Amino acid sequence: MSELGVNVDGDAVGRPALRSFVSSWAGYGIAVLSVALALLIALGLEKLGVPDVAFPLMLLAIALTAWFSIPRAAIVALLLACLGFNFFFTRPFGSLVVSAADIPFYIAFTLLASLVAWFSATRRRIEEELRSSRDLLRNEVAERTLREQEIRTLNDALAERSKALQATNQELEAFAYSVSHDLRAPTRHIVGFTELLLKGAGAVLSDRSRQHAAMILESAQRMGTLVDDLLEFSRIGRVDTRKTMVGVQQIVQEAMSEVARQIDGRDIEWRIGPLPLVYADRAMLRVVLVNLISNAVKFTGTRARAVIEIGSTEPDPEHVVIRIRDNGVGFDMKYVGKLFGVFQRLHAMEAFEGTGIGLATVQRVVHRHGGRIWAEAAIEQGATFYFSLPKSAGATP
Amino acid sequence: MSALGRILMVEDDPKDVMLTMTALEEYNLANEVVLVRDGEQALDYLYSRGSYAGREGESPAVLLLDLKLPKVDGLEVLRTIKSDEKLKMIPVVVLTSSREEKDMVASYQLGVNAYVVKPVDFHEFVNAVKELGVFWAVVNEPPPGSARKR
Repeated sequence: MSELGVNVDGDAVGRPALRSFVSSWAGYGIAVLSVALALLIALGLEKLGVPDVAFPLMLLAIALTAWFSIPRAAIVALLLACLGFNFFFTRPFGSLVVSAADIPFYIAFTLLASLVAWFSATRRRIEEELRSSRDLLRNEVAERTLREQEIRTLNDALAERSKALQATNQELEAFAYSVSHDLRAPTRHIVGFTELLLKGAGAVLSDRSRQHAAMILESAQRMGTLVDDLLEFSRIGRVDTRKTMVGVQQIVQEAMSEVARQIDGRDIEWRIGPLPLVYADRAMLRVVLVNLISNAVKFTGTRARAVIEIGSTEPDPEHVVIRIRDNGVGFDMKYVGKLFGVFQRLHAMEAFEGTGIGLATVQRVVHRHGGRIWAEAAIEQGATFYFSLPKSAGATP
Repeated sequence: MSALGRILMVEDDPKDVMLTMTALEEYNLANEVVLVRDGEQALDYLYSRGSYAGREGESPAVLLLDLKLPKVDGLEVLRTIKSDEKLKMIPVVVLTSSREEKDMVASYQLGVNAYVVKPVDFHEFVNAVKELGVFWAVVNEPPPGSARKR
C-alpha cells in the first residue's frame, strides 16, 4: 500500500491521464498478463510438485486486475481464468470441455472471484477517494497558508502605516507644543515692551507715533489670541474626549459668566429654556457654548436691546438639539458653507473682531461627539446656531 | 510690608527677566530677587554648590520657575526639589509660556504649589506677577529656615 502511495504521490497531476489510459487498453493488458502469469506460476509449481495453487493464484490475478484496472478488465480476467482453469487444471486436461461435475466448482469460483474483485475494486475506489480528498485538503491548506500570508503582509503594511501615523501625530504634538511655548513668548514681549515704551516715552511721542505704538500693541495682542485659538483648535483634534453625563444648564451659566466682560453694561435679554443632560466631554462642551454665546453677544453689538435665546429640542429619543438664537446682524445664507472653516470670517475686521477659528473649533468638538452643527440666518435678522449631541452613552451617532 | 521673602527666579530669556523684574519693581518686590539662568544654576543655588558654594544656608521664600530652560529643564528642577527632604518645603511656582495641559499635569503630579501661564496682555502679566510676588514673598508664611528680610 505504501509503495502505491509513493508512486501516486510523485505525480498528482499526471494521474488522471494515466488512469484513463490504464482504463482502456492497458486494463485488458493487465487482465491478460496477470492471468497468464498466474497460470505460468501455477503450472510451474505443479511441475515442482506443489499442487492446488492455481485456485488462489487465479483469485489473486483477478484481484490485482480489479485493483489496478477497471471492472470490465476484471471480468475479462475472470473469463480468462475460467478458460485457463478449464484447459489446464480440470479433466479432461488440454481441452475446453466442461464436465457436469465441474459446473458447481465454476459457479463457486466465479462467485468467489467476483466477490474478491468487488472487494478489491471497492477498496481501490475508497483509496482513490481518500487520496483525492487528501489532495483537496492539501490544496485548501496551501490556499489558506497563502491567504494567511497575504493577511500577514496586509497587517504588516497596516502596522507600518499606523506607525507612520503615530509619528506624524507626535510631530504635530511637538509642533503645537513648540507653538504654544515659542510663539507666545515673543508675542508677549512685543506687547510688554510696547506698553513699557508707551509708559516711559508716551509723553514725548507725537500723536502719530503713539497711534503706531497702539497699532503694534493691537497686532501683537491679536497674534496672541490667534495663537491661543489655533492651539485650542489643534488641541481638540488631538486629545481624547472624556465623556460623562453633563448638565447643559450649568455649562451655559459658566459660559455666560465667562463672556460677562464682553457684555460690558449692554442691555441683553436672556431667554434660557430648560436645558437637558447630555453625554459629552465637559470641557469641550464648554468651549462650544462659550464660543456660540460669545458670538451671539458679539453680533448683537449694534442692537439697542439684544435678545439671546438658548433652548433645546429632542428630535429623536437618542439625541438632543441645542439652539442659540440672537437678534443680531445675521449673515447671508449664501455663505453658510464657509461658516465653519478655519480663518473664515463673514464680517469686516473693524465691524466685529475675531480670529475666525471659533466656529471651526466648535464644529470639531460637535463632530468628535458624533453630533451635527448647522445654522440659519438672514442679513440683519439674527442668526440661529443648532448642534446635536447624544443623550446617553449608548446613543448611536 | 512687614517682611519680604527672598524670591529665586529661574528664567533664561532676558526679555522675560526684564518684564518680570519691571513688574516686581512696581510693587517694590524686586530687591530680594535672586536670578539664575538655567536649571543647573538653580540647583547649584539651592544646594550651595558650584558657583554658589559658601552661600549661607537659607532657602528662598518662593521659587519662580520657567519650564523651558537650558541644561536642566524646569520639570527636572521641580522633580529634584520635591524629592529632596530638605528642599521639598520650598514653595515652587511654575511661571511659563506653555498652556499645554501635559506640562500642567506633570507639574502638579510633581507637587508644584502653583502654576501660572504668562498672559500675553502686559497689564494682566504685571498683575499676575504682582499677585504672585505679594502672596508668596509677603502674605505667605514660608517654611522655617527661609530667607526673609524684616
